[in-house]
Amino acid sequence: MIFSKEKITTAYTLEKCPKCSMEKKRRFREGDVLFFKTVKCESCDGIMAVEKIFGETII
Amino acid sequence: MSIFRHFLTNDLILESSKPDTVDFTNLDFDQLMGFGDDSNPLMMLIWIIPIIIFVFYGQRIQLQITSGEIKKGIKKLAAYKTDARSELLNHIKGTAKPDSAEKIDRFLEYFTIMPVDMDPNGVMDKIRHVIRSREDYSREHVRSLFSDINQTELAKVQTMLEIATSLHMLYKIINHLFLTAKKQNNYPLILPLQMILPFVMEEAEALRGAVSAFRKGQPVGDGIGPMVVGKMMLDVKKEPVSFQTVAGTSEFDGRRLFLLKAEGPSSTVGRLGDAVHSIIEKNNIDMIIMIDAALKMEGEDSAMIARGFGAAIGGIGTERYQIEEAATKNNIPIFSIVIKQTIKEAVTLMSKDIAFQADNVRMDMLDIIGSNTKTGQSVLVIGVGNTVGIPQ
Repeated sequence: MIFSKEKITTAYTLEKCPKCSMEKKRRFREGDVLFFKTVKCESCDGIMAVEKIFGETII
Repeated sequence: MSIFRHFLTNDLILESSKPDTVDFTNLDFDQLMGFGDDSNPLMMLIWIIPIIIFVFYGQRIQLQITSGEIKKGIKKLAAYKTDARSELLNHIKGTAKPDSAEKIDRFLEYFTIMPVDMDPNGVMDKIRHVIRSREDYSREHVRSLFSDINQTELAKVQTMLEIATSLHMLYKIINHLFLTAKKQNNYPLILPLQMILPFVMEEAEALRGAVSAFRKGQPVGDGIGPMVVGKMMLDVKKEPVSFQTVAGTSEFDGRRLFLLKAEGPSSTVGRLGDAVHSIIEKNNIDMIIMIDAALKMEGEDSAMIARGFGAAIGGIGTERYQIEEAATKNNIPIFSIVIKQTIKEAVTLMSKDIAFQADNVRMDMLDIIGSNTKTGQSVLVIGVGNTVGIPQ
């Protein structure tokens, strides 16, 4: 609705490489859990881990 | 302004450009309002009838206007409770036994009677017993809905059931107060309802938003304490210290740190009171630091960090009582760090502002430890809050 006060919140997952500190932000996927290791880092041979899961609100 | 009157001479044009104004000083107010000796009886009636109506029926008119606003609130509450129930049933559909909907409906009507407090001696133990009995019962109730269910899923469904029950109860209480006032045609009775309704709606909206976060296993704002402590526990050996509660030990600047939090990533707050008792009994603790989310005051910024003294832990009060009792008995100071947030932020998906405060909270905690303890001392660090989506 045009005049609705409802705010839309989108969940994001922030992955961080513990070795080179490279961060990657993407949409949250069900099954994402904080601190869990995810994929290989694109810039070094480290393994990315979920650093944060948070919501951003669009007004 | 009339500009088309005369265009014959310059003088006339000037005169016609003056605005056509009404002289208000010449009005007869009494005549206008019908107050004069020769007043119109019809005008008198027009004045007197509304006064009579408002004197005798004013409250009823106000009752009707206020009722309209409250009805809107009740309609929203009804929708929230139905949504929460539907979302729960959709979540368990396919995995639960066929008669689960009936069992859930029966559980929604469950109530808890608090112990008598006329004689306060031993009331904390009684309250703890009642609350834990309810928790244990609802856990077993959820387990009975499934032929096989893991711990994380069980905690998730239990939390969703508690949310649906809370929304159901809120709807019933507000609807009862409203219908009573309407039945009695009693305006003063509806006033307290009108006053509390915005607060109730705020809580109900927060609970409605919470269902989605818990279903998806996302961390909520209340989980900032467990998030800080959980990260510190990642590489240390952990062991269960009480029901759904884990602890581990670490080192910082020559101090021994005992790290304590509810066992994630399941949706639980653990039993921190029991755990603190157990740790203090077995170890010599010199300081306790509690990290928790706290409701912000109006005007305060969300995700603001504040330091203080005393046990920072919410709930009904039994856990706080246990921690305070153990700390007092052993003369241990309790420091606390709170992260301010609204009730909605506390129970819904953790906001970006709160999530990005985690490192600052950890720095604050280490600063408190460094400036209030000496090398060789032991500190118990407790991450308080729901640990959904936050392992250790």
